[in-house]
Amino acid sequence: MLAQQLLNGLVVGGVYALFALGFTLVFGIHHLMNLAHGAVFMTGAFVALYSVLAGLPLWVSFVLAVVGCGLLSILIEITAFSRLRKSGEAEFGAIISTLGADLFIMSFAQKISGSDILRFPFETFPVQIFQFMGLRVTLLQLFMAGSAVVLMLVLTCYLFRTTLGTRIRSVSANERAAVLSGVNPHVVYYQTFFLSGALAGASGVLIGLAFNSIQFTMGEPFLLRGFVVIVLGGMGSIPGAMVGGLLLGMLQTLTAAYLPSGLTDAIIFSLLFVILLVRPYGLFGKETAGAMRAQR
Amino acid sequence: MSDFFVTYHHLFNVFLIGSGYGLSQWIVMRAGVFSVATAGLASLGAYTAAILTTKLGWPYPLSLLAGTLMGTLGGFLLAVPLARLRGVFQAIATLAFVQVVVAIGLYADSLTGGAVGLNAIPTLVGTKETLLALVVVVYLMSAVNATRLGRAFEAIRQDEAVASSLGVSVTFHQALAFALSGAIAGLFGGLEAFQTYTLFPNTFGFPLIIAALSYVVLGGRRSVTGPIIGTAILLILPEISRPLADYRNALYGLILMLVIAYMPRGIYDTAVLYLRRRRLAASSSQEARQ
Amino acid sequence: MSALVIENLSKHFGGVAAVSGVSMEAPPGRVTGLIGPNGAGKTTLINLITGVLTVSDGRIHFGGQDITQVSAHLVARSGVARTFQNIRLLAEASVIDNVMIGFYRNEKTSTLASLLGLPSARRETAALRSRANALLERFGMSQYANHEAGGLAYGHQRRVEMMRALASEPRLILLDEPVAGMNDVEAGELGEIFRGLARSGMSVLLIEHNIRFVTNICEYIYVLDSGRMIASGTPEQIVNDPAVITAYLGS
Repeated sequence: MLAQQLLNGLVVGGVYALFALGFTLVFGIHHLMNLAHGAVFMTGAFVALYSVLAGLPLWVSFVLAVVGCGLLSILIEITAFSRLRKSGEAEFGAIISTLGADLFIMSFAQKISGSDILRFPFETFPVQIFQFMGLRVTLLQLFMAGSAVVLMLVLTCYLFRTTLGTRIRSVSANERAAVLSGVNPHVVYYQTFFLSGALAGASGVLIGLAFNSIQFTMGEPFLLRGFVVIVLGGMGSIPGAMVGGLLLGMLQTLTAAYLPSGLTDAIIFSLLFVILLVRPYGLFGKETAGAMRAQR
Repeated sequence: MSDFFVTYHHLFNVFLIGSGYGLSQWIVMRAGVFSVATAGLASLGAYTAAILTTKLGWPYPLSLLAGTLMGTLGGFLLAVPLARLRGVFQAIATLAFVQVVVAIGLYADSLTGGAVGLNAIPTLVGTKETLLALVVVVYLMSAVNATRLGRAFEAIRQDEAVASSLGVSVTFHQALAFALSGAIAGLFGGLEAFQTYTLFPNTFGFPLIIAALSYVVLGGRRSVTGPIIGTAILLILPEISRPLADYRNALYGLILMLVIAYMPRGIYDTAVLYLRRRRLAASSSQEARQ
Repeated sequence: MSALVIENLSKHFGGVAAVSGVSMEAPPGRVTGLIGPNGAGKTTLINLITGVLTVSDGRIHFGGQDITQVSAHLVARSGVARTFQNIRLLAEASVIDNVMIGFYRNEKTSTLASLLGLPSARRETAALRSRANALLERFGMSQYANHEAGGLAYGHQRRVEMMRALASEPRLILLDEPVAGMNDVEAGELGEIFRGLARSGMSVLLIEHNIRFVTNICEYIYVLDSGRMIASGTPEQIVNDPAVITAYLGS
């Protein structure tokens, strides 16, 4: 029973990790937060759903959602970030302006869907259950875990094995130095936002398939959990987001399984609060990450 | 005229409460704290006041006072640990606080009514009382702005290092701002409770965070008038025409993006600045002529 | 006695020593100079004195009190004012508001009186405003009173910062490269002001990169290099000290 819960938690955690990776990637580069990330996630589920309803095969819909969300995310960088970067209050400004983008996208989705809960048609994803060593795994769960692993590997290779990735990391480490050595920061910004949006889109499709309950508000709880993951892992840390996502997934399934229902959120967000007080730079962040004020 | 009043009476009450939340958000930001705790603090005040009156039969002024104190205490208790954190991290921690309050409100249903809501709260407060509360708060906040505290807050908001190099304690003033924010949020939470019959935990969640922030960002972060103007515009716009109401959230979103990009000081503060610059330009060109 | 006395002060960042074993004094009535090449640890030393950075080792005394571990705003309360190397004004506030915040240290209004907007609080604000105006007059800045500080020319910003520091009526003022970017005439004028402050009984500690200016203004000079005090003495002694010449001209 415990093993089954842990397994389910790992699968959900993988999707949390995907979502949070995109969130933390932008923070790592800009030191600004993109609160429209939840809306991009929701858009992923919407695009995939409407593509499937229009008769496209699931894999095409998946690709459409991923690419579409990447592009949407670039649009967010252009409309909500680019003007702020020069102002002195970018940190605050970004939060406000991406909240604005979040509301705007959500309201657009609400116009399309009404406030209804939408569902993928039956058997969009083949229902198949495997049993081994007493554990029960659905084909969909395997697909989710597989996608999460593949996408994370692709991202890691991209960031750490290609020149483009090196540029992204150099801007993240020291933007001015990177620009001086000839890196065009705009190209880097667009790439990070595309990657970030694509990851959000992918996790949106996976969650849409898994819970089959798609609504224009579905991004909000994910955004809130995204905070938990990236703070737990360390703001801006890529391995941190991966580990943080898995931990949150397991914590959530375990508390839901063994504690009175309804306490899950209280526990998760108390945990977030406590981590910020005790170790604001998270598991993998550096103490110099600027979470705390200088004080004597 | 009386029809007009009946139609817009409710809207006016909503505006008064919204202005209160706006001012609660405003006062922490005035002191350079990036807290979004107003929603959670308002929840503490609203539930404290409502529970005391419905379950224990307290007279409503006493319950309002208790709600205000509860909010103050909540703000102060948040301020102590959060003093170590900065910027975005403060925002996330206060967001977590709001979520915890919502979650507990949903969970502790024997006390709060949970998701079904806390029902049958007597409607004891009207426009008069709410208006009086707002006037008092506006007076206090203007007094802060016009005297020593306002100067300290302004210095901290713009540059903490400069403020402490002049003897201003950042920790003390930010804790004070937190406590004031909690007091205002708690008071208006209580007032809302006695106007609405039912309280839901989710009323004081993410949407209220966005609303309170929007009021301040749109209106202005420096003068007391700013958040009130921001509240008025954001609440009244959707009432003016049906299409605007249909796209209320899109409108809010668009306004936030446009204001922060093109008018980052908000409508009122930008107008004040514009007038002052014009006056200065006029007086210096006059001097040049003489 | 409001002398600043530093004993054996050290500061490490990780394993790197930014300041090590520094001892010095800045008595009242004297313009004391602290010079050194870039990266010598001068600004670190100021940040240690003012409580912005924590001290790794050693003691700081001011006016007979040990302020080694005292937090920044309390150091300021005890009468230490400073200017910043890269001018730091409240850019969005008007010039007069920038000066008025300088009075904060000596304000009498209580928190409650300010919150309630009591007449006493408003009276003190009005009084400070007129004192700020007088200060602006003295520095020839009256016509800029209502201008935004962030929009002023560089030289004017320096003056605003100076006025703000003086408004707190400090017993010790730390000036971090106050004449950077000024021509000799402007620097000379400012130097006279510093001497005037010292004559009025203040301790003045002048941190400079520019040896010529310091030797003109200061009565006693300390030389810092790579975090260590390599020389101290009168201007004549300093300019003839071989260690100083090596540090400045390179070996």
